[in-house]
Amino acid sequence: MVLTKDEAAAALADIQATTRRGATLRGYRIGGPILMLWSVIWMLGYLSMGLLPSHQWGWVWLVLDTVGAIGSILLARPAEKAARVAGAKSDRSSLKMMGGMAVAIVFVMSTFYVLRPTDPAAYLAFPGLMVGAIYAAVGVFVAGRYLGIGAVMFALTLVGFYAFPEILAFWMASASVALFVSGVWLARA
Amino acid sequence: MAKADDLIHQPLRLKIMAALYAERDGEPPEFSRLKTITQATDGNLGSHLTALEKAGYVEILKDHVGKRPRTRAKVTPTGAKAFRDHVAYLRELVEGID
Repeated sequence: MVLTKDEAAAALADIQATTRRGATLRGYRIGGPILMLWSVIWMLGYLSMGLLPSHQWGWVWLVLDTVGAIGSILLARPAEKAARVAGAKSDRSSLKMMGGMAVAIVFVMSTFYVLRPTDPAAYLAFPGLMVGAIYAAVGVFVAGRYLGIGAVMFALTLVGFYAFPEILAFWMASASVALFVSGVWLARA
Repeated sequence: MAKADDLIHQPLRLKIMAALYAERDGEPPEFSRLKTITQATDGNLGSHLTALEKAGYVEILKDHVGKRPRTRAKVTPTGAKAFRDHVAYLRELVEGID
């Protein structure tokens, strides 16, 4: 069999596209359980915000975020190990994950510090909007399913902010169900 | 110069081999997942997997998870070498190496 240069290039492009699709599905399977973990963190955090005085919110989130970060690294570890066994060069994904979370936390806290919102609902809604935006951006640039997840979180946060401001913390806590279902959707990819 | 592999070059078989090669050291993918990755239909995927199995390039693993039957596919060492050689051939052709 003799191929032309164009046929060979098309075949290589096919291989690359197939490998990319496989990697995206693998990523979903790793991301699914992590998203489920964060849905629990999210629920506990917002329940605490609904039940505890505002001066304790920061400490609650600090503890929960730390638990979430450690849990995420532990959940991502088997995938990293498999990649190392397969001979892939480490992309330091755990470190990147930690870095990304740190950036998000610092950004949220800095925004609150600079803007000093007087409405407590702003403290409740802003993290939800930011998480929604981050997932949507990941969806646009990396893996499409995250766009839907981000859009749902963004929309649920806005609905809660405008329709149920008195019970926003509990509304946000219940929105964690959507996050959990999204995690199941990813894990089954 | 490396040689083309007639069996692997068929478009869907090339995708199957690419997908299985990428997963060669991990958990062998299930049929449904392989179908998603290769964007194939049930019948097409089954017939091409059988052709690759006959050539000794893939191994079909059948078992049960609970009561649910599960079919998975795994690239064999022969298949992995054939795929590598075919990709080397394609690259040489594109880069114009004789």
